[in-house]
Amino acid sequence: MTIDSLDPEDVDAADILGSAIERREDPALLTGNAEYTDDIQLDGMLHMAVVRSQYGHARLEDIDTSEAEAMEGVHGVYTYEDLTSDETPGGGSFALPTAWLLDSLEQVPHPVLASEKVRHQGDGIAVVVAEDRYTARDAAGAVDVAYERLDAVVHPSEAFADDAERLHDDAEGNVAFDWEIGDAEKTADAFADASHTASIDLENQLLIANAMEPRAAVAEYNPGTDELEVAMTTQNPHVHRLLMAGVIGHPEHKLSVRAPDVGGGFGSKIHHYADEALVAWCSMMHEAPVKWTATRSETYLTDAPGRGHETKAEIAMDDDGNIVGLRVDTMANMGAYLSTFAPAVPTYLYGTLLSGQYDIPAIYGHVKGAFTNVPPVDAYRGAGRPEASFLVERLVHLGAKEVGMDPVEFRKRNFVPDDAFPYETQVAVVYDSGEYGKPMDEALELLDYENFREEQERARDEGTYLGVGFSCYIEACGLAPSELAGQLGAQAGLWESSLVRMHPSGTVTAYCGTSGHGQGHGTTYAQIVANELGVPYDSVEVVEGDTDEIPQGMGTYGSRSAAVGGSSLVKSAQKVVEKGKEIAAHQLEADPDDIEFENGEYSVAGAPARSMSMADVAGAAYLAHDIPAEMEPGLEATSFYDPENFVFPFGTHAAIVEVDPDSGEIEIERYVAVDDVGNQINPKIVEGQIHGGIAQGVGQALYEGAEYDDNATLLTGSMQDYAVPKAEHIPEMETESTVTPSPHNPLGVKGVGEAGTIAAPQAIVNAVADALEPFGVDHIDMPMDAESVWSAVQANATADGGAEPAGDDADPGGER
Amino acid sequence: MTEHDITLTVNGAEHDLTVEARTLLVHALRDELGYTGTNVGCESSLCGACTVRMDGEAVKSCTALAVQADGAEIRTVEDLGTRHDFHPIQEGFQEEHGLQCGYCTPGMMMTALDILEENPDPTREEIREGLEGNLCRCTGYQNIVNAVQNAAKEMQPAAVADGGESDDDPTPATDGGEEL
Amino acid sequence: MEFSGTFELEDTTVDEVWLALSDPVLVQESLPGCTFLLHVEAEEADFDELGEQAEGMDRELTNDPEVIAGRAFREGERYAALMQVSVGPVNPTFETVVTIDERDRPRMHASGEGSSGDSSFEMSSSMALSETEDGDGVAVEWETEADVFGKVAGMGQRVINPVANRIVKRFFSSVQEELHDLGVEAVSSSDGDESDDRSLVDRVLGRSKSTDSE
Ligand code: FES
Ligand code: FES
Repeated sequence: MTIDSLDPEDVDAADILGSAIERREDPALLTGNAEYTDDIQLDGMLHMAVVRSQYGHARLEDIDTSEAEAMEGVHGVYTYEDLTSDETPGGGSFALPTAWLLDSLEQVPHPVLASEKVRHQGDGIAVVVAEDRYTARDAAGAVDVAYERLDAVVHPSEAFADDAERLHDDAEGNVAFDWEIGDAEKTADAFADASHTASIDLENQLLIANAMEPRAAVAEYNPGTDELEVAMTTQNPHVHRLLMAGVIGHPEHKLSVRAPDVGGGFGSKIHHYADEALVAWCSMMHEAPVKWTATRSETYLTDAPGRGHETKAEIAMDDDGNIVGLRVDTMANMGAYLSTFAPAVPTYLYGTLLSGQYDIPAIYGHVKGAFTNVPPVDAYRGAGRPEASFLVERLVHLGAKEVGMDPVEFRKRNFVPDDAFPYETQVAVVYDSGEYGKPMDEALELLDYENFREEQERARDEGTYLGVGFSCYIEACGLAPSELAGQLGAQAGLWESSLVRMHPSGTVTAYCGTSGHGQGHGTTYAQIVANELGVPYDSVEVVEGDTDEIPQGMGTYGSRSAAVGGSSLVKSAQKVVEKGKEIAAHQLEADPDDIEFENGEYSVAGAPARSMSMADVAGAAYLAHDIPAEMEPGLEATSFYDPENFVFPFGTHAAIVEVDPDSGEIEIERYVAVDDVGNQINPKIVEGQIHGGIAQGVGQALYEGAEYDDNATLLTGSMQDYAVPKAEHIPEMETESTVTPSPHNPLGVKGVGEAGTIAAPQAIVNAVADALEPFGVDHIDMPMDAESVWSAVQANATADGGAEPAGDDADPGGER
Repeated sequence: MTEHDITLTVNGAEHDLTVEARTLLVHALRDELGYTGTNVGCESSLCGACTVRMDGEAVKSCTALAVQADGAEIRTVEDLGTRHDFHPIQEGFQEEHGLQCGYCTPGMMMTALDILEENPDPTREEIREGLEGNLCRCTGYQNIVNAVQNAAKEMQPAAVADGGESDDDPTPATDGGEEL
Repeated sequence: MEFSGTFELEDTTVDEVWLALSDPVLVQESLPGCTFLLHVEAEEADFDELGEQAEGMDRELTNDPEVIAGRAFREGERYAALMQVSVGPVNPTFETVVTIDERDRPRMHASGEGSSGDSSFEMSSSMALSETEDGDGVAVEWETEADVFGKVAGMGQRVINPVANRIVKRFFSSVQEELHDLGVEAVSSSDGDESDDRSLVDRVLGRSKSTDSE
């Protein structure tokens, strides 16, 4: 079903929350009035370019900057030595911190410019500051670096090999950490007693976020006030400010970080990279504004990739088809250094979701992180959760096959039952709410599943191979509460902060510490605040993404904004309403307990004529001529909302594909998505998030993957070689939703930003495996290009002694 | 570096400027003339974010050198319509939620205009094909296709002439799951 | 990455082709974008110096085996080449040093590396000549393993592979042309006055180490 959007003017104030209104941010974006970081032009602005490594792994022998320095238009060329010299500004660490720790974590130094060794191609060696961007780039090319090339490692399994070249002196065997979750012994027992097991060996490939706007920063230092303002492509300005203050050694209160319009992030703009800190430093150094905008090649070399797992896993079943155990052993690629939140991704964001939607009595997960010569790996849309969901859903597909059950029946049999919520898994989390059968049933109806199976059968007889694949995913959003996050290793709280300010005229500005970059927070937050305060939607302005304006914040990632940021706004708005109530009671000469608040009107219970509007109360609060004694004037409230728990969106995605075993080509015939993201603030925006998420999931399944050669040289370093899906690559998506509100937050919302990306890959891989069942193909690693599909068919065909599908005695997948 | 004096007519306004031989048209537009509505996504003619109309045709302005555009008429997103008076293509994107971060959008709209000029009533497949050179990482394209169809309907002279008025539905062609 | 292929030269013999490919001057002329190709005598190849040296030299293409023998590639020696290659939108100039690891008619093996400001490569290459099936031509089977680094590597295989293939193709076509234009005639080991030609043949054929009388 496609949601029709509405003009906000046609929506009653009382209905604003939950309406699919058009986005208020669109006019600026549609007229060219938006301001992205690279749009910023300042007087006397200089441009920075970064000299990066020619090799994935090398020792630096010499850096000769003389030729670059002598070039016309070049204002300076700096190496690590210059940064740390006493003669230059800032006394920072000039090393990037890791904000998530694990007991076994090997915290290796990550200098913002390499001085002895380069460990991936994106490692900066020097920066050039010049009059314009062309000159800066030319001069960067003129810096002469002498290297001694070292052997490189790309995959974790290579990094762990006995004779592998070591990246960091302190990280023996290139091990970044060794982590486990669940109960190893109990799980071993479960496997020992099981009647059936199925296993898989898979790679979850490295992906590059490819936000359409490359990373960029403009820094402006004011020597008069010692204030340093940085406008940059960020998903979390406050976090960046805190981290950057330490990196460059400029006090947090003299540093401001602002996110102008940001052209997509998908995780890649969460992390603190070297470049933005270098721009800030160069601005102090030159006492002038400095801009840096990554070229697309630079984004490929430096943006933190995501995923990168090599996994062996098994599932165990009893005779009745009940899952009795799940065991996972993963080697996770961390890249050359530990990026900002990297250690959390393959551990707490992955291991905790290994139960999927299923009631599994014994689970054990073991993850070993590897240092390799790819860029530091960190969160990319989904972050850990897609890897978990992919694995669980692939195992469930194989498990069903192993016990000879229809994959739908097998899933339904093993779903966490509706009456078991809140449900505590074997991997340390408690699911808030769910009705897992509902989206599944809805998806089956959309697919007309029974009929499809018959059609599949008929088609096979005619030599056409159709397959259906399911993905019953679970996602965890809004990691919380902060105390728990702290116990797990977070070096930050995971609350969200907001300020709701009524103006004397009755209009409102709402500030929130999240930082949208395409999600439409300006619209959805205004819907939330208008609803709470009972004021017109158009009277609410939303401000995000500026440390100078917003008290504090944690940012936008992990599908947390609605659940945590939105809830914080509700809390602030409720405080405003409460204060307003006392003012109204005072003015209406009633007891505050007798004041009712509805649709923006305060009235005395039982005497509705005695009433005051929110706007009048705001006016009174600022006039302060007649407010309760000892009450402070003004009407605004700040809150820090720390959720009680994660929220767990879920749903079922299903794909129908046709696979041509002769050419290896895959055609997605239908894609059905039924998502339960709790209450929806704006269904049109929810739909958009689902669409975009699915497209990235389809990209992973069929097209995308960062590839490096043996020397850790990126082979997919352009949009030509890294296949970001085009319009023709993405199927028409049929979306529906069910609504199971989360009991954990006042809005009952769960989160939607990552759902599609988490769900899609395994729906497609399962469908392809289903289509190729007659050929005995169980698994094909992503991206499933025609060649890999063809090879898989051939490999099995040869093993079976013929290129024809296996005969009737091999269980034909469609027979159920 | 040799410099050249060139003249660009951008959105009807004539500009004389001096550029280096290697200056890309997109940088001349953005950095020299301040038309920052046109975005740069790849600088290698692969993403389409920088698409403008040059002498009536959609062109990736990172592919052209500014000197090559000397004397040309350029139309950028800034010339489409204002927030109070949207061009139908802008209206289509707004109504169909055809944009999220908006970074690809100016280029998408410029290409869409090209598609509609050649084919006022394109099918969904034709639109997808026509958008081949424009990447969007946010939307999954479905709502972009809806947006272009929405605009097509709005822009068709026939629709107005032969009683398109009676069709009050402000959001046509929203049936994303169907082929049209 | 690995490249390989076979190139067939018509109307010629293994010995003729061997002679041609033994001549640094002919190779330099045939390599697209090659400014000079010189024997390196010093410990380190200084490209500025070599450039000057090249300018001062007056070496001509010839079909005279005696002249070619005098300057032919020698096993174990290093040669420096300055080569400009256009890869996509950039035209890096590579300072390349190659060592002739093996030269034993009809086989040659060389390895080396090249660098230009922001890119570099390491390669190892071999080549074997044989008579074509129909007998009136020569098949050159070649194989190169190369590691490319830096900016050029970043352009990806889809850009690099065609460039490599183009260079090889143009190289051999041009060798073919030169063979034809110059009328290079082989000094074959199987005819003529054996004792007289021996050392010349050996030198041309790269057997300098074993039988070189100088
Ligand atoms: S910036 Fe021109 S096509 Fe990408
Ligand atoms: S809307 Fe973000 S790239 Fe298209």
